Amino acid sequence: MKLQVTQENLNRALGSVARVANTRNTLPILANVLIKTSNNRLSLSATNLDIAITHYIGAKVSDEGSITVPARLMQDFINSLPDGVINLQLDDSKLKIKTDQYQSTVNGIAADDFPVMPAITTGESWTVSASTLKKGLQQVVFAASNDETRPVLTAVLLHTSGGELRMAATDSYRLAEKNIGKNNNDIHLLIPASAMHDLLRILGDGTDDVHITHDDQQVLFQVGDVELVTRLVDGKYPDYQKLIPTSFSTEATLKRADLVNVTKVSSLFARESAGSVTIELSEENQTLSIRSVASQLGENTAEATAKVSGEGSITLNSKYLLDALSVLSSDEVIFSFNGKLEATLLREADNKDYNHIIMPLKG
Amino acid sequence: MQKDSLWQAVLGEIELSVSRGNYVTYFKNTRLLKYDAATATIGVPNVFLRGTLERKYAGLIRETLLKNGIAPTSLEFTVSSAPKSNRDKEEEADEVVFIPSVSAAPQTAGAPAPNQASPNQGGMTGMPRPASGPMSAPGSGMGGLSHSYRQGINERYTFDNFIVGSGNELAFAACQSIAQQPGRKYNPLFLYGGVGIGKTHLIQAVGNAVLAQNPRARVLYVTTEQFVQEFVDALRFRKTADFAAHYRTADVLIVDDVQFIAGKEKMQEEFFHTFNALHQANCQIILSSDKPPKEIPTLEDRLRSRFAWGMSIDMQIPDFETRCAIVQTKAQTHNVVLNNEVVEYLANSVTTNIRELEGALNQLLAFCEMRGLEPSLSIVSSVISAAKTRPKHLSAKQIIERTARHFQVPIEDMLGPKRDKDIVVPRQIAMYMLRSELHLSFPKIARELGRKDHTTAIHSVEKIEKESKLDADLRSTLSEIKERLYA
Repeated sequence: MKLQVTQENLNRALGSVARVANTRNTLPILANVLIKTSNNRLSLSATNLDIAITHYIGAKVSDEGSITVPARLMQDFINSLPDGVINLQLDDSKLKIKTDQYQSTVNGIAADDFPVMPAITTGESWTVSASTLKKGLQQVVFAASNDETRPVLTAVLLHTSGGELRMAATDSYRLAEKNIGKNNNDIHLLIPASAMHDLLRILGDGTDDVHITHDDQQVLFQVGDVELVTRLVDGKYPDYQKLIPTSFSTEATLKRADLVNVTKVSSLFARESAGSVTIELSEENQTLSIRSVASQLGENTAEATAKVSGEGSITLNSKYLLDALSVLSSDEVIFSFNGKLEATLLREADNKDYNHIIMPLKG
Repeated sequence: MQKDSLWQAVLGEIELSVSRGNYVTYFKNTRLLKYDAATATIGVPNVFLRGTLERKYAGLIRETLLKNGIAPTSLEFTVSSAPKSNRDKEEEADEVVFIPSVSAAPQTAGAPAPNQASPNQGGMTGMPRPASGPMSAPGSGMGGLSHSYRQGINERYTFDNFIVGSGNELAFAACQSIAQQPGRKYNPLFLYGGVGIGKTHLIQAVGNAVLAQNPRARVLYVTTEQFVQEFVDALRFRKTADFAAHYRTADVLIVDDVQFIAGKEKMQEEFFHTFNALHQANCQIILSSDKPPKEIPTLEDRLRSRFAWGMSIDMQIPDFETRCAIVQTKAQTHNVVLNNEVVEYLANSVTTNIRELEGALNQLLAFCEMRGLEPSLSIVSSVISAAKTRPKHLSAKQIIERTARHFQVPIEDMLGPKRDKDIVVPRQIAMYMLRSELHLSFPKIARELGRKDHTTAIHSVEKIEKESKLDADLRSTLSEIKERLYA
């Protein structure tokens, strides 16, 4: 293998794949990145056997070939090189990296030992715009659980319902659901949330379409020159739609910034009580007041004006409330609930695409 | 069953010919789903492994299958989850509780900490406790959250499959009454006894029984090693408050192998506070150890006295009848019926440790299954004697020395003419041990201990045999000496 590639391209490609490679695995080669020439392009791949990312970059290839080298070392090294052309040459299992100023040799492991990347040969294929997907993921993924004892909840559900593509995640204390537009395919995918974090990273600020292909075990996302394949989570996702309340006894519409402020202040006094804050809506005063008590420190009450219908109070975890508010993008938000023990719904005032549910705390 | 053992044999061979990392990554969780003359179908846990197995290891698998007598014309790999996760899936389908709910008020009435942490994070991230559950999916009443507190409890250990014998009936009864009313009686319960006699089984059974009655009870089972590790992590990440809150809100705290806390001062202090918090809130504490509290070295006095506060129970090595019952019950769980000869042989060949007894049984069953034989006395004697753990170096002299050391009498006195009571009993025990462990003849035993008459030896062995049936102290002395001998 012998080729020339720009530092910028190589660095970008390593940036998107190297994170997947990790050294904690039992199989040493999984800490490596696979560098391979194909059709006058260079592909870099890494996998942890749950997900695999491949990034294609342009290169001037003189001799075809492939090798795997330690991902971290390679990334750190290439990252610290100046802009310019880098020469890569393979000599046995040693990769020689050469620029005007630097020369180094990295010991690799033969590419034959690298796991065979799964290929999706048959399966449905569809596209979605990168910006929509990114927005949706940002609003949903964080709600997924990281408790491995219930694997389905560590996944993000991507499914079609009523001709619309929806994304949902829950850790059983809160639930986020986003409608990301029309789609006529029949889709039901349980994608590990960790893979979705990687996808978010790859999506960057791109505006292209994302091509998605899936069969019943894996799903492939193609974003420009990057491909991400992940296994799907096996299991039955709870029928979450039943759990989103549709009518409410109490509802408030108010400025998002106001609610964020009062919640933040209140959460300072809620550290001792696992973030527990009590929100009270008053129709008479048209206010939302929020109260937290720290038995040692004191207590706090804050108020914000709001358009309120119905009376009532509810106790929530302020961390969950702030998480939800930070991903709502409208100026005004709607905060609604049915009594002390039932789910609270947060959504944007100007559209119904995003639903965020938080379970109350026992008061 | 047959294809599983065939696949085990295949994997065993493959393990030797590929690197450890490759084996663990690619082969460990595979299964042979079915095979006939045409195809063998191999279940792979993950789609990422399939490609590599197909392209790189198909040849090796085919070769190894051939060696084990089957030669399918083609190999197929399909992604299928392990049987275990299949079971999980079914459970989930039944009881997926979507937003789970905890309504049971904590029994720790006085404890203010509402911090309920998920188990695998060891209390590092505080999870709030959701209110009672209008959000649970229809038809699923039970809280899924009890999972979080089912830490470390293995559902296999129940009272039903615990075999009660003379050595453990007190412990069993105490545990059962605790399971009915945690925190009311015998708090703390301190179980101690040698290796592999069922301490862990019993204390886990309490956890399971409590959970069966009240699925929302917060039952925490930790080994001391785990407790220490989590504490160290908590110190490192400055989360000691979370750590304390996690443990101090348990309804039942079960700590296994508590003797390992010896010598860890800071740890003992933390444990002391946890202990006090729980004990004051009338929450049940169950401890197990291989020694009684007063014999754990470098244990702080305040802990020592607290450990012995409730009830300390010595678990004894099971007697012959109990061991027979154990063998029979274990065989039944494997759907095998053993005849009495075999059972008695097994119960006789492993006397000190139930775990080893189970091991011997498993060995026998595996041997018979692989060769398609019925277990019989001749098979069991050939299998077990081959594996019998009697160290060859054990000599009569060592037994006498060990016995003398145990009673702290000079070995010369043991061999000499003295007939004081404190010499005679150790001497008799030594004779008994020579007979039971080395199967020496009576005249030989008499000679070893400097006696002229072999009837002395006969009398001694019989006496100890008889007394050990009646006297628990003597039994524990015997087993202690034995344990040291084989340690």
